[in-house]
Amino acid sequence: MNDDGLDPLIHVPTRLKIVATLAALPDGDTLSFTRLQDMIGLTPGNLIIHLRKLEDADYLTSEKTKNGTVSITTVALTGQGRAALDAYTKALRDLLGGL
Amino acid sequence: MNHTSDSTAADNGGTFDPQQAATLLGQTTGQARRKFQPSPPWLLATRGIAVLAALGAIWLTVRGQHPYRGPTAADVPVLIGFIVLNFAATVAVRERAMAGVSGRSRFSQGEIAVLAASWVAAAVLIAALAAAKVSYAHYPTTVLIIPGLAWAAVEAVRAEWRECVIGLAVTAVGVAGLFAGSAGSWLVAGVGLCVVLVGHAAVTAWRPRA
Repeated sequence: MNDDGLDPLIHVPTRLKIVATLAALPDGDTLSFTRLQDMIGLTPGNLIIHLRKLEDADYLTSEKTKNGTVSITTVALTGQGRAALDAYTKALRDLLGGL
Repeated sequence: MNHTSDSTAADNGGTFDPQQAATLLGQTTGQARRKFQPSPPWLLATRGIAVLAALGAIWLTVRGQHPYRGPTAADVPVLIGFIVLNFAATVAVRERAMAGVSGRSRFSQGEIAVLAASWVAAAVLIAALAAAKVSYAHYPTTVLIIPGLAWAAVEAVRAEWRECVIGLAVTAVGVAGLFAGSAGSWLVAGVGLCVVLVGHAAVTAWRPRA
């Protein structure tokens, strides 16, 4: 945690966008890697780096499934990731005196 | 936007202040909710106005009929075209919003089967009423009752209470039409569905889905 109480894993523009985008889905829904990439506007390599950091912290899960010759990767925010975003949002509110 | 330098700078404790973070969080959340919205407010409002125009126009042609003969031959293709266009637009927008999304936001095969069966049941009910020469067979609102209840039931099982209320409201419009007479039921259907759809649009715009 930073001195200002902001989670350093989330307090990065790209990762904040990833987490906020996934949090807009109802709990339990997953999003394909390609749709997430399209919404965030990152290169696949750059997105993978950020997803891996979030996955290492158990903020999201990813799953790769094979459909014939095509493999599809889906990602979803975990309960821990959702709680981390809630805590981050609260910390921002406290810092800014209400969003 | 240079994502590499952006992420590197921020990872190293760069210049991403809380105010910027709050703005980005608000923007991203709003954009994502809009993009994932299967029934966006603009579509709901457009459908509401269109259904009022289509059914209101038919009411204007049938209200002076004594005895009631129903929509004219010219009205029927317009009505069918409106229903097909409405259905196609709804499905297309929903599919676009749900692209890449899997999980409970998507209807299961069983839920789709229940909803499809409700329309078949409505058609069977209308045919049975017509065969029995019951006037309700000619009320446009009669067809709303079973699909409205089915929608409410499916959404109640999914604990989507807002959508459940929409289904019950559509059913209420269907029941209200039974008391309006053959011609009046067209007006009840037009106004009732318009109110439901525009109301749904207003609520969705005011408080998007989580």
